[in-house]
Parts: sequence; structure tokens; C-alpha cells
Amino acid sequence: MATMGEPAPCDTLFLGGGTPTHLTLGQLTRLLAAVERWFPLAHGGEWSVEANPADITLSTADLLADYGVNRVSLGAQSFDADKLSLLERDHRALDIRHAVEICLPRFTSVSLDLIFGAPGENLDAWKQDLQSALELAPQHISTYGLTFERGTTFWGRRLSGDLRSIEEDTERAMYETAIDTLTDAGFEHYEVSNFARPGHRCRHNEVYWSGGRYWAVGPGAARYVGNTRSSNHRSTFTYLRRIRSGQSPVAESETLAPEDQAREKLVLGLRKMEGVLLADFERDTGFAPHDLAGGAISRFIQWGLLAQQGDRLQLTRSGLMVSDSLWPEILRR
Amino acid sequence: MPSIDCQHIRNFCIVAHIDHGKSTLADRLLEQTGTMTVREMKDQVLDDMELERARGITIKARAVRMEYKRGGETYELNLIDTPGHVDFHYEVSRSLACCEGALLLVDAFQGVEAQTVANGYAAIEHDLAIVPVINKIDLVQARTEEVADEMRQSLGVVPDEVVRVSAKTGVGVQQLLDAIIDRVPPPKGDPNAILQAMVFDSHYDKYRGAITYVRVMNGVVRKGDRIRFLRAGAVYEVLELGQFVPRQRACEQLQAGQVGYLICNIKSIADVHIGDTVTVAQGEAAKPLPGYKPLQRMVYCGLYPSDGQDFTELRDALEKLSINDPSFEFSPETSEALGFGFRCGFLGLLHMEIVQQRLEGEADIDLVQTAPNVTYQITTRKGETLEIHRPQEVPDPGQIEEFRQPIVRVNFLIPDEYIGAVMNMCHERRGVQKSLEHLSAARVMLTYDLPLAEVIYDLHDKLKSATRGYGTMNYDLIGYEPADLVRLDILVNGNKVDALSIICNRGDADRRGRAVVKKLAEEIDRHMFEIAVQAAIGSRVIARETVKAMRKNVTAKCYGGDITRKRKLWAKQREGKKRMKSIGSVDIPQKAFMAVLHTGDEKK
Repeated sequence: MATMGEPAPCDTLFLGGGTPTHLTLGQLTRLLAAVERWFPLAHGGEWSVEANPADITLSTADLLADYGVNRVSLGAQSFDADKLSLLERDHRALDIRHAVEICLPRFTSVSLDLIFGAPGENLDAWKQDLQSALELAPQHISTYGLTFERGTTFWGRRLSGDLRSIEEDTERAMYETAIDTLTDAGFEHYEVSNFARPGHRCRHNEVYWSGGRYWAVGPGAARYVGNTRSSNHRSTFTYLRRIRSGQSPVAESETLAPEDQAREKLVLGLRKMEGVLLADFERDTGFAPHDLAGGAISRFIQWGLLAQQGDRLQLTRSGLMVSDSLWPEILRR
Repeated sequence: MPSIDCQHIRNFCIVAHIDHGKSTLADRLLEQTGTMTVREMKDQVLDDMELERARGITIKARAVRMEYKRGGETYELNLIDTPGHVDFHYEVSRSLACCEGALLLVDAFQGVEAQTVANGYAAIEHDLAIVPVINKIDLVQARTEEVADEMRQSLGVVPDEVVRVSAKTGVGVQQLLDAIIDRVPPPKGDPNAILQAMVFDSHYDKYRGAITYVRVMNGVVRKGDRIRFLRAGAVYEVLELGQFVPRQRACEQLQAGQVGYLICNIKSIADVHIGDTVTVAQGEAAKPLPGYKPLQRMVYCGLYPSDGQDFTELRDALEKLSINDPSFEFSPETSEALGFGFRCGFLGLLHMEIVQQRLEGEADIDLVQTAPNVTYQITTRKGETLEIHRPQEVPDPGQIEEFRQPIVRVNFLIPDEYIGAVMNMCHERRGVQKSLEHLSAARVMLTYDLPLAEVIYDLHDKLKSATRGYGTMNYDLIGYEPADLVRLDILVNGNKVDALSIICNRGDADRRGRAVVKKLAEEIDRHMFEIAVQAAIGSRVIARETVKAMRKNVTAKCYGGDITRKRKLWAKQREGKKRMKSIGSVDIPQKAFMAVLHTGDEKK
């Protein structure tokens, strides 16, 4: 952080990418103090911290709150013991309930992450998870379909036949159920995977989705400064070695041309449920969406995947479901 | 070069099945006659195109002059190389017409194969003296005497006359040279008669233009002569002539009986017709030599640039290719589905594959190729005769009086235990059996008349699998016969994709239609919407498959650190569509255009 040279005031802060709450109280205090010094939070700013439910104790929560943290995102995943074990999590449903009880009075927003589509999971089990989450009355919920990615133990387990992905139809039904259940319960579905009670959206993440700029610190952390996206080395060891020897920790860096920035911003904007306001977009980027990808956009509108009402372009429900198939057309120059 | 009398000339070729060692034997002859030293020789000098080497076949004929001294006499031996594949049947026949003798080369282990018989009979038909040769006698598995008996059975060869050699070790090559001089008759022909020479091959040289290979039958051709090509009707001046030894070597004249080349400032190889007759430009011309046939393309397909590829690039590449291959033709065509492209004609399926590989390998062109088809003939109610090179050209059924398809006579040479399997294979393809002959105790020649369309795609592969690789085949066009044919159209989401239409037998239409739509549905990736794939005859749909819409395809997490990776991933998916054609928003991969070849008789 000291490489910033001088303190950089921020509107939002997000401590995540792992579980900072794993730290001892002493270590966590040092971290929070350093963040407070180098990235002082503006008045009315949002400061989120990711937490493992099992790590939340009264003293941790008090410490976070004392430093000005006002939003906690709990990696709940599920309330089902078997599913949690399958997902290789070390907490129990009880830990989640306990953590939420501690956090609700201390922070403005509490968010729960939930995973659906675990091998062997059925729709009823998922509905049960959603109900359990709602009963705890968090202000924010994120739901993620389980993905098998190269380099994870799940990838290997699926390859070896140990795990099987669930049917695509079931996965879709689970996703739609989440959307319907949570919006019925008064949440706004504001991004592909994110739901918030009014006034409780994650402002930090909204910066990502609006093509805004941000700094980053730590192994694997990604920043977008000027026209350049860069990310730090993922290996903690290499990261530390570079920092200590006064080298840049940056592993990859990419400078985007204005048109590519605009295309990317359009995709990220359309992943928000409110979509993109055409005039605002053109004013911000210098490119009109219909000039960037007019053919694709009209085709998608014709197929009912996108909808345009007045100045607003947004995904429809069926467009949302297959949205990854739209982006290649929009990103293509 | 001093003039030489015909008594000291021998013109011969080697006919053999692929891999029976023709090129190795040619090398050994060049070496033994001192035409080329081992050091000068790359392996197998006669096959000099890389692709030929890769495929182990000789595509273009060449002629090499060798000098051989025996008992104080000097002989001129001209080895005329012949293409070894069925697609080049006509070229083979023209090469044979330039020779007085043929070495009939058979592998001591493989024995007589379909091509050996076909080419052997062709040589006999041309009245050539046959010098039977068994090669690879050094092999441990050699069954020389049995093979000699097979040659007797299948071609009437006298076993005592068979020269046994090993081209690899050189054993018997000396005796073979003697046999060539003793048994191949010298050419007849009158050096004082009017010039009459046969064009048997050509190639293109970028500095000299077309180089014409000729065999002088009568008369003399000299440098500076004005000559006439009778079929082409064109007159040229001979700028240079000579022989290949094996490199091009100029000389002053070529006389009756000799083989060599002419350079006449011919700009395009397409102006040189194989089988054409060369004579004098002025005065009384010689008679045209018999046997000339215009090139006959047996197989046609459409070649189109993939999405994002340039039409002009493809055209340039085709032009470049045709400079050296007059047997390949192309003309622009348009398809509603594929846009601008070319209809290309080939001598056969192998020829088509070679051209396609050259385009992709040498020109780096990304192609969409439509399924190959044969040429059909239609007589309309009005009495017109139409040549149909592509299914789209088939008129409405109401206008068709008669629909005819090309029929080929196919000879299969197989071990007799596979007779049943091969007969089944032929019956499924509407073959008519013509004969069944035992060549030896265990080998059989089976002859069928089959529709060419049933032969070109996969009959060779099917034969190999039905006979565990032991069967060989050879075919020859015998004519056109009426058949109950229909055009089967393919519709993708209700849009007829003209490039996917096929012509098939009415009785097979249901089965073919079902097989094709099933295969197509497998080849087309799921889209954001449902895709109906239908087969129809006229307006009647006979088969349907559905490619279900994609149900869920959405990235859940896209936060600060994910954005670059996801963007690249999405952009790459666009790249993956390169080898596709978008038809009414449906991306159809190149492979799908070949799906129409699925006949539906694949057995589990």
C-alpha cells in the first residue's frame, strides 16, 4: 500500500478474494489500520469485508465495525450439511446463523453468498437453501451456479467421474427459482448474480460493472487505472518477493483502446438488470451501442433476448439465461 | 545428339499398384544405366512433388531417357512414368500409347491387385509387350512363386518369363535391362513421313510457359519448326526441344520413335491437351492419332471461402493451382446459402482431395467445401438434355422426362473369404454383378456395375473395412443409365440451404433424409433458439430433427479480477466460428456440409 506514495481517498473499499477474517485479531488490526491510512474512506463510503461464517466472532465483528467496515459478505454457500461438505466448506448451517446474528446489528449491510447446482442437488433442496437464507433477513444475497473450472479440485473430480454436473434444465430452473423467490421477497435483482434490498446494492461491485476505475493491492488483485487493466502475480510468494525487492507485483497488464473499453462497458452494463441508457452510454464512451454492434443488437431484440424501451437497452429473462452467447457478438470489432 | 535409328530405341513404362515399388525400381534403372549416380539421386526421383511423396502415388507422368550399352551397341531407353491411381485413367492410357512395352510390376508379398489387373489389361489392349516383374523378392514374407501363378491366372503371364528382382538391393535389375532390350520391340515409324507426335503430358514452368511432352510417331521435329496441335487447332514455333536425362537437356531434333519435350511459348497449360496430335503447320498435315478424349471431370464440388475469408484470395489460389493442373476446372458460382464461390470439377475423389489439401496447405485458405457429387444428365419434357453439375440445377420434377446417372464398372480383387461381404456392399449400393472369377485358389476378381455416385464417397473405405484391408478396386466409366432419382433438399429453420441439396435414388430418399438431418443436427451447435433441420422432396418434408435451444449459458461471477479473462474468453468464442457459415443466423460448421454424405446404412 505504501507504494501508493500518498494516501488515496476512496468511495468504496472491498477486502476480499479469500477470507481476511482468517487472520488473528492482531494481524487483522494491522491490516485495517494500513488500509485506513493509505485508502481513507470518504464520508458516506462503503467498506465491505468478505468473511467465512465460522470465523465471525463478537470480537472480530467489533474490530471490523470499529474501523468503519459497514458491509460484510458471508460465504454461506448452503445450509445443507452434505452440500457444504461436498463443496469442501468447513462451516455448518449453525455457524451461518450465528454469524448473521452477530453482523446484522453491527453493519449496514450483510450479504450471503449461495451456491446452486452442486452435484446431486435437486430443486427442492435449493428452494430450502433460499428459504433458510431469507429467514435470516440479510440485506443482500448473491447466488452462483457451480462451475467446473480448470485447475480446481472439482474439475479433476468431474474428469475422474467422481462428480457429475447437473442437468442444464435443472440448473436453469434453479436460477429462475432464485430470481423469482428473491424478487418476491422484496429484493431487487440488479446484476446476473446479485440481489439487494433497496439501498443495499454493493456499490463497490457496481463500479466494476459501470466500467469505473479502481486500485488494487495484494496477490492476484486486479486494478483498472487510466486505460490499463492489470493484475498482480497470483502467487503470494512471488508477490511478496517482488514487493520486498522493490519490483512491481504486476503480472499481466493490458491497455484498452477506447472502442474496446466501450464494448466491454456495454457487456458489463448489460449484465446489470437495469441495462444501459443509450444516451448516457454514448456520452460516457463516445460510442453509441447501435454503432458498435447494431446488427447483433437488433437481431437479439428480434429474438427476444434484449429489449429496448425508449432509451434503455436491457436483457430479457430469456436473454439473461443465455447471455454468454450474446457477448461474443458485441465484443467483436 | 546424333540421330539414332529406331532399332536402338525402347520405349516402355512401368505399371504397378501403389506401393509395389515402381519408384524404387525406376531409381535403380537410372542408377544401373549410369543416367544418375546414387549421389545425384534423391530417393525416388520420378515422384518429385512433395504431396505425391506424402501420398505415395505418382500424380503426373514423366519421361526419362537412359542410355545403355550392350555388346558394343548403344540403346536409348525411354521410361515413361504413369500415374498409379484410378482417377488418372485417361492419362495412363495416353502414356501407354507412347510405349511399345510395359513392365508389369507386382509385389512378391502383396500379389496381384485390382490396379495391376486394370493397368495390365490396359497395356495388353494397347498391344504392348509385357515384361512381367516380381519385385521385393528379398522380403522374408515373399511368396514369389504363388504370385507368379496369380499373374498367370489373372493376366495370362507365362511364369518362366517373369523377371524376379529386388529394386531395393539391385538383384535382377541387370537381367531386367536385358529383358527390356530383348523383349520390347523397337518403335515402328517413318522418320521421313509427315510429323505426327502425341502429347502425353505437360507441365508448367514459370519462365518458359507450358512444357509439352511428346512421343514422335512419324517424321522429325526440329528446333525452329512451326507446328500445329490438331485438336487445339493452334500453331506455334518450336523454341526448344529436348529430352529428360532426367534433367531437361535440349537437342536439335526428335525423330520417329523418340520421346521428349517441346517448348513453344504456350502461355497456359490449359492450351495443351493430353492425347492431342502435333504435326506440321504448313502443307499436308498428318492424321490425328486415335484415342483422344477431352478431359472428363467425374466429381464436382463447391468451394467457398469461410466467413471472414476473401473471395478474391480463393480465386487467386485456384488460378495458381490450375496453372499446373489442367485437369482441374473451376468456375464462379453463387449459392444462396454460401454466397460467392466456385464450382470445381475433378477427375475423381482423390484428385479433389489433393486440390483441397493444396489450397489449405499452400495457400492457407480456410474453405467451406460442399459434398462432392457426380454429373447427372436430364432430358426435359421439351426434349432438351441438361448436364447437371450440382443438385441446385435439377429442374422441377414435372419438367423431367428422364434422369440419368453415370455408371461405372468396378473390379474388386479380394481374398475369396470376403466375397459375401463385398457382394452385400455392392447390393446395398444398387450394384449389378457382372462376373466372378477365381484368379488363384484364394483370390477372386468380382466385377460389378455401380452408380458412380455410390462409388465416389466411401466405397473404397468400405471395401477396406469389409476385407480387412486386403481388397483392392478399380473403376471405369461405362456410360449413363436412367434411374429413379430425386433431389433431396435440406431446410434449416425453414430456409432451404441450397448447398446441402443432394440427388439420390427415390427409394433411398427416406433413409438418406433421416440420416442427413440426424447428422446435421449433431454437427450444429446449440444456439440461443431452437433449430429445425428438415429434409424435403419438393414441398414434402420427409425427415426432421431439432437442435434444442441452449437453456442456460451465463457467467455467474464477473468482478474486478474476472473481467479481462472473461472478455478474452468471449472474444475467443467468436474466433471459433471462423470455419462456419451463418445461414439465417444459424452457424453451420464446415463439417456439416459433408454430413449430406451420410447414407444411413452405417451398421453398428
